[in-house]
Amino acid sequence: MKETINSRIELQYRIEQFYYREAQLLDDRQFQQWLALLDEHIQYVMPSRFNVQVDNRMRDQEAMLDISRELEGQDSAGSPLREENILHLSMRVQRAYKINSWAENPPARTRRLVSNVRIGKNQSGSASVVSNFILYFARPGSANFTYSGERRDLLTESDDSFKITKRTVLMDYSDIEYPTMGLLF
Amino acid sequence: MTNPANITELVNEDASLISRKCWTDQRVFELEKAGIFGKSWLFLAHESQLKQSGDFVQAYMCETPIIVARADDGEIHASINSCTHRGLPVCRADHGNTKRFVCPYHNWSYAVDGRLTTIPQEKQLNNCPDKSQLGLKKVPRIESYQGLYFGSFDPDIEPLDSYLGDMRFYLDAFFERFENGIEFIGAPHRWLVNANWKLPVENQLGDVNHGPYLHASILPPEANDEIIATGHSVVPRPGHGASFRLMPEDTPWEQVAWGMEGTGGILGGPEVQDYLQTVQRKAIERVGSLRARMKGLTYGVYPNLSFLWSNTSFKVSHPRGPGKVEYWSWAVVPADAPDAVKKALRTNYSSFFGPGGMVEQEDSESWTQQHLGANIDFADDRPFFYGLGLNEEGPHEELPGLVSVTANEFYAREFFKRWRNDLLAVSI
Repeated sequence: MKETINSRIELQYRIEQFYYREAQLLDDRQFQQWLALLDEHIQYVMPSRFNVQVDNRMRDQEAMLDISRELEGQDSAGSPLREENILHLSMRVQRAYKINSWAENPPARTRRLVSNVRIGKNQSGSASVVSNFILYFARPGSANFTYSGERRDLLTESDDSFKITKRTVLMDYSDIEYPTMGLLF
Repeated sequence: MTNPANITELVNEDASLISRKCWTDQRVFELEKAGIFGKSWLFLAHESQLKQSGDFVQAYMCETPIIVARADDGEIHASINSCTHRGLPVCRADHGNTKRFVCPYHNWSYAVDGRLTTIPQEKQLNNCPDKSQLGLKKVPRIESYQGLYFGSFDPDIEPLDSYLGDMRFYLDAFFERFENGIEFIGAPHRWLVNANWKLPVENQLGDVNHGPYLHASILPPEANDEIIATGHSVVPRPGHGASFRLMPEDTPWEQVAWGMEGTGGILGGPEVQDYLQTVQRKAIERVGSLRARMKGLTYGVYPNLSFLWSNTSFKVSHPRGPGKVEYWSWAVVPADAPDAVKKALRTNYSSFFGPGGMVEQEDSESWTQQHLGANIDFADDRPFFYGLGLNEEGPHEELPGLVSVTANEFYAREFFKRWRNDLLAVSI
């Protein structure tokens, strides 16, 4: 089907609405409902970001500062911060509703803003989507934190909505001064 | 300044009472720097991070930034990352490969072994300084055990082998399993936590006791039953520690094999499980039948290196003053495992430990809350109680060191006795 401007606007709208609903579920601590947005084969990855040695041969080129150079964990030589499937994410959700998940007792108050939604290649019922987020995190008895990052998703059409089939979360930290990088981003 | 006599008021004779000030007082921290970090063997790097000449990684010795590098002579060198001219760091990358380190300010250049090679300004001058005296400050002692490189600022420190003592028996139980050694993969995950450096150390030295309570949301109760039935806590030498389960001889391989405890091993499928089974089958001939049955929990090497066997992570607790710690952790995998196996096994670490881990977020929360508790007023007459299992440890027929059940807190008492003695031995 030839893509028309109307179909692109409609897709943009549907995906943005999907993300707003996802953000609301997470901020409202309805993590079990959030799990239902995930494809059972989801790959959820958070690369580690390290401080790269400047490569002299790349000077004067944009490649010198390419973000991909500072992401660790794509191959077995590095170590991502997180590398999870539906079971890990389900464990995180189950944990959230146990009385002894002390790091969330009392639970944090969070607010997510998702924006800059860029839809890339989409073919036969799936779309690659990149979006930015800011996540404000306030845990009683602790300091308040602001997380920021980018999510690179593969969304798959499912019953008039989407399932998240793949998510790579790029976090913008210099040093990790957050209480955890284990939130549901 | 605290005078050493006051140290005996911080830790009582049998170390069953530990003052809150041990965790919070800036003067105590200054004594720790001089008496412990200036006098001990401190972990720098693993040989797998420095395979080629020119390979380097950054490290810390307490708060001092260190470059660890393999030079053209094949040797490992450790130098303080601070230019002799104006003190800027000459290396900013976490790791890499280079021929020289260059200070950005005036371009003084250093070889990877720390020698000063170039002062650009000297071309315009008549009297050139003696460059052989102006290299990066070297860490005076470097030694390694099982590929783990340690450095010490104390030129007269005892050899690493005797420093480790019987801890080597327990380190070998892990390292010797792997025919082709192990690898530290990637840059360490660096996590700043508002806590004193000693609590992460104590947590990984032998504190198995918190597992079934603090981590009850993740750890199944059967895991605790197994620890109660088979757990041993050992202090091979005061300050070091090892805790593990000694499984019965007829235990099926999948219940004793290293790597099968995490989701990586359990969910990894036949390729991962065949690999782990092969390692376990060879373990009997490589480390002997006793140590082949060891299923490790926590390890600690004084003062601040930890190894979490069950999730295969090495950690270093770098102090940042008395109230903050920069906690570094690495995933560790067997060097000869296929890529897919390494990728599966590293999730045993990242899913549960490190900054994104499900289990360690509970620990870091506790370490922060302990530091708040250590800081409160009107409670100086109520030191922390470290007396569980007092004098219940003793020798063991087969295991070197002092041995007891995991509920005995002697691992922490022995640490604090050594800590007290080290602080008494210095004056600043």
